Amino acid sequence: MSEHFRAFSFVDRILSDETGTRITGEYQIPAGIDEFPQSLVAEAIGQLAAWSSMKAIDFKCRPVAGIAGAVDLISPVRPGQTLSLEADLAEASEESVKYGGLATVDGEPIVQLHDCLGPMVDMEQFDDPAAMAARYDLLINSGAEAGAYEGVPALSYEITGGQNGETKEGTFTIPEQAPFFGDHFPRNPVFPGTLLMNLNLRFALELASEISGESGVWKAERMSDVKIRSFMAPGTELGMMARVDEVDETSARILVETRRGKRLTSAARVRLSRKK
Amino acid sequence: MSTPEISQEEIDAIYPQVAEIIADALGCDEDEVKPDSSLINDLDAESIDFLDIVFRLEREFKVKIPRGKAVEEARGDLSEEEFEEGGVVTDAGYDALKSYMSEVPEDRFSKPLKSAEIPKLFTTETFCKMVLREQKSDS
Repeated sequence: MSEHFRAFSFVDRILSDETGTRITGEYQIPAGIDEFPQSLVAEAIGQLAAWSSMKAIDFKCRPVAGIAGAVDLISPVRPGQTLSLEADLAEASEESVKYGGLATVDGEPIVQLHDCLGPMVDMEQFDDPAAMAARYDLLINSGAEAGAYEGVPALSYEITGGQNGETKEGTFTIPEQAPFFGDHFPRNPVFPGTLLMNLNLRFALELASEISGESGVWKAERMSDVKIRSFMAPGTELGMMARVDEVDETSARILVETRRGKRLTSAARVRLSRKK
Repeated sequence: MSTPEISQEEIDAIYPQVAEIIADALGCDEDEVKPDSSLINDLDAESIDFLDIVFRLEREFKVKIPRGKAVEEARGDLSEEEFEEGGVVTDAGYDALKSYMSEVPEDRFSKPLKSAEIPKLFTTETFCKMVLREQKSDS
């Protein structure tokens, strides 16, 4: 079975679309998966905004991950819950989409995105424009069948160095093959920026655990100045680095970045707080 | 098409904020950012960084910087066809660009100049001027 619209698609239904301006929708997290990280909730909001932006330009281009001014990680979600999604678009052109958005469950906020910007790329190079247009029609009319997502393969990095409680270095090799590449994107597989964001979060939390000498003490509250600078193809090896920027008794800020060789490929700041 | 005059004093006044934004966007030290740094050649900027910098400038200075505005204004009274032919900037376009981007050191204008290479000319001061032009056009 094709992975397109299954392996990495997180909008089941578009409820309303003031095209290029505001869009609402929903996504039911499959009950049978192990977990649904907050980074994928952010992905769902981004995908919702992407639908409205692509419709606005008649599916000539599609946005890819770029910049998020801030991502508030407010509350975890559980498999089986339904995300209510909304996005407000400040711009939807053939160059970029600018938006912010919110995901809630039963009215409670889960993840909020601020000041996001996705650069547009030529749709033909990444996906089938006609298939994308047909999918949009499906989502806004009857909605898609829920439950297609089956999780992502375990992704792990290797620690290679660092100074205890101050810095951490590692490497991560993007798998050569994974179901999500069939959906992201069918004509040009690219490692999803939100999966990298999740790895960076884990990396930052691992460094934070060294500050306090125990794990599970810190929780991530916000990622800011998130930037994906280039496409990361299957099989690419990335160097990872995390550095404690600020720390006090109740909070910490950690800078995370990945590089391909010397070239910076992604960066973000992670604000953490001590669990009460 | 006329563009507002920008004085060096005006550039100097906003330069520290613009340099800080560029350093933040590129993840480099602020002292690496010089007024005449080519963002692509000297600071390793990529196309996403240009979007990021413009986005940050818009938020910081509360202006709207339309995409492609710099090149459009650089054309002055020239039509698109008079400005470039087959992806290469014409002689008239070349002169218009040099005049418009007077902050860029002369030796960086190669000839023939491909349109796709114009972003390589952009310096920190170029972004200062973008902000100032929008501030003036808004006022």
